[in-house]
Amino acid sequence: MAKTIMVVDDSASLRNVVCIALKSAGYDVIEACDGRDALAKLTGQKVHLIVSDVNMPNMDGITLVREVKKLPNYKFTPIMMLTTESQPEKKQQGKEAGAKAWLVKPFQPPVLLDAVSKLVLP
Amino acid sequence: MSLNMDAARQAFIEEVAELLQSMEDALLALEDNPADNESLNEVFRAMHTIKGTGGVFGYMPVVEFTHAVESVMEEVRSGREPMSEQLICILFACRDHTSRLIEAIVEMGEDSGKPLSSDLIATGHDLLKQLTQRTLQTTNITPNTPEQPKYLPIVSDVWMIALDFGRNALRNGMDPLSFLRYLGSLGDIVDVVTLSVPPPLNEEFDPESCYLSFRIAFRSDADKPTIAAVFEFAEDDCDIRILPPDSAQDTYLDLLASLSDTQVTRIGEMLVSIGALTPNELARALAHQADERNTDAISETHSEHTANQRLGDILIQQGSIKPAVLEQAAKTQEAARAKRQDETRFIRVDAERLGHLINLVGELVTSSAAIRIMVERAGVENMNEVVDSVDYLVAEIRDNALQLRMVPIGESLSRFRRVVRDTSKELGKNIELVITGGDTELDKTVVEKITDPFMHLIRNAVDHGIESPEERARVGKPVNGTITVNAYHDSGHIVIEIEDDGAGLDVKRIRAKAEAKGLVKPEDTLSHEETLRLIFAPGLSTKDSATNLSGRGVGMDVVRQNIEALRGSVELDSVLGQGTKITIILPLTLAIIDGFLVGAGRDQYVIPLSQVAECVEMKAAGEMLKPHNGHYINLRGEVLPFIRLTELFNNQHTVRHEHRESLVVVRFGHHKVGLVVDTLLGELQTVIKPLGKLFEELRGIAGATILGTGDIALILDVSELAMIGQMKRHHSDLRHS
Repeated sequence: MAKTIMVVDDSASLRNVVCIALKSAGYDVIEACDGRDALAKLTGQKVHLIVSDVNMPNMDGITLVREVKKLPNYKFTPIMMLTTESQPEKKQQGKEAGAKAWLVKPFQPPVLLDAVSKLVLP
Repeated sequence: MSLNMDAARQAFIEEVAELLQSMEDALLALEDNPADNESLNEVFRAMHTIKGTGGVFGYMPVVEFTHAVESVMEEVRSGREPMSEQLICILFACRDHTSRLIEAIVEMGEDSGKPLSSDLIATGHDLLKQLTQRTLQTTNITPNTPEQPKYLPIVSDVWMIALDFGRNALRNGMDPLSFLRYLGSLGDIVDVVTLSVPPPLNEEFDPESCYLSFRIAFRSDADKPTIAAVFEFAEDDCDIRILPPDSAQDTYLDLLASLSDTQVTRIGEMLVSIGALTPNELARALAHQADERNTDAISETHSEHTANQRLGDILIQQGSIKPAVLEQAAKTQEAARAKRQDETRFIRVDAERLGHLINLVGELVTSSAAIRIMVERAGVENMNEVVDSVDYLVAEIRDNALQLRMVPIGESLSRFRRVVRDTSKELGKNIELVITGGDTELDKTVVEKITDPFMHLIRNAVDHGIESPEERARVGKPVNGTITVNAYHDSGHIVIEIEDDGAGLDVKRIRAKAEAKGLVKPEDTLSHEETLRLIFAPGLSTKDSATNLSGRGVGMDVVRQNIEALRGSVELDSVLGQGTKITIILPLTLAIIDGFLVGAGRDQYVIPLSQVAECVEMKAAGEMLKPHNGHYINLRGEVLPFIRLTELFNNQHTVRHEHRESLVVVRFGHHKVGLVVDTLLGELQTVIKPLGKLFEELRGIAGATILGTGDIALILDVSELAMIGQMKRHHSDLRHS
């Protein structure tokens, strides 16, 4: 059974690119447009990896990580943060919150797949 | 109920006997053919069934034991673990032990809750230990082809990777297995040994904690940073050590040996730069080192060297590098250090400071001259000796100081190789640049200032001097053109010759052009040399005349001006069809001048000694050729133009009295001109003081100097004077004709 990855980003186009890349690699993908949306969609699902942006409306990525770590079903789920070079401190914050993987934006789809496959194989 | 159970129990015992029998048969079959899946399944089924049914009856020792065996069989069945002879042996023993367990239970009858005999327990433990340990040793992630079982890996090309996951790895979402799978995509995982054993199953055990450690033998062409990147996300939760294979060690040794001196830094950084060490490993070792240092800070102070040693030891201890690599790194570092010490023989000095020093030395020269004059005037004879020795020392200091600024000209000449190569390629010509005398030294300030005129001359030679290969072939010259640059010292000057074997200059065309520009009159008779020199005239140096004149006109006046500004001269010789030779003569330094002091009118002047040819008494020199203006003289049958300095500078003594005039014959290049002066005051060495901005436009004066007496003397620019004289003669000729 294919592994499911949740992609959280407020940019629909970025979500789109990420989704296409992940689906082409054989993952199932669930999209969410911000942290709050992501938390709502996690319920009743089985997600193997959460790939989340940091800066988002309603609930940002760091808060999302903290919230996800509180969910009994998801506390062990790996979370990958999409950070930017200009915000190295966000990576540290994300790490402290519990997101141990990260990817610097902008990235090429192969780089994303490479990073994702270090955590879950399709 | 109990009766039923008894019957059921009996049935179970019989069934177990059957199952164990079939297991024995299957194991025997496996011994012949380890790949026999059917037999494998038979063994598995036997253990599975005994466990399952035993559980129903509450025979926990049987359940526990068979469960362990079943798990191992599951691994084998799924292909994660190969069937081995050793395993079959253990399985035989397991089968026997299961049989004995059942017997024991039968003996116990109703009292199945009774503890087993210690003997049985011990055997069981022993067997389980054998099973699990064997599993730890040979658990294999990638199924190997059965016909090629991998035994001991060939150490030389296998990476050893140690992963010690932290307790929080799982909580942080790290899946150790996915890293291993990803690692598998980079190469061939030869072997994985799982090391850590969880703590006993009591309250200390935390099911959410990770107790896993792996030792991985990995065969791959990937380099260390790439392999380290696999575990990038696990860095916080995992202690990662990557020990390269022996083959990589050799690469590291080579890399270390080939590091350039600038790359040789601290040992850790060196190792990271060649990829033998990951930044993470270095950081860990440094942290360890810092810890140790803190703990024994009181005991001793560490020099950099011992600190390095210890860092290397730590790196070896933590399994990041092998001793041979460390040794080589230390060696490279040592060599670089030795070299650096060697380099400390040279001290970089700010050019400005050096300039200041040379200026001061110049002042010293002047002061020492002043002392000599004072001593002579005062007639203190017993001071002569000490003044002599001061003079000698000052001269030595001056020479040494000037030497400081001397650099070989080769460095700036060799940059023309590129120019020649590029330009000739562009033009489709084959040109070889030969540089000789590159170690000839001259003042750095001179070197800097001649680069541009040089570039010009070389470009001209390439562009217009050397013909195209076709043309050269047509006239029977070697297809490859040659430009030769030669530098040598000649009595206080440096001579640089630029010679090409190209087309040479067409004198007739130069003449025609010069006449068209009004530089010469058609009736003027000019020697070959004089005609050639016309290309240095400003009017002729226009771009559009370049092609007409084989390009020699391009900026040649600028070249001449630049070189003359350095108190140098430029000569030209060319034979049509055979080539052109340009000779540049430059003073070795611009700061100090060996001069000849003369007096004219109310002032004193310094003529660069190198340009003084001879001094003759004016009256003895010969009669005036043109007495009405007195600008030519017959010097031993040679027509010599002359300039009377008092006329030029208009500084005659107000009270004119009869005196003997002298003629100083100066030369510039191949030309000579006479300077008429009132008195000859002798040679002196003096520092050139450049004139202020206000006097920049002043022609004929190169600078000024302060004499030992405190008087100021102007330094004459001979070539400019000659030009001025020429113009004056020209005007007077016009007036008188």
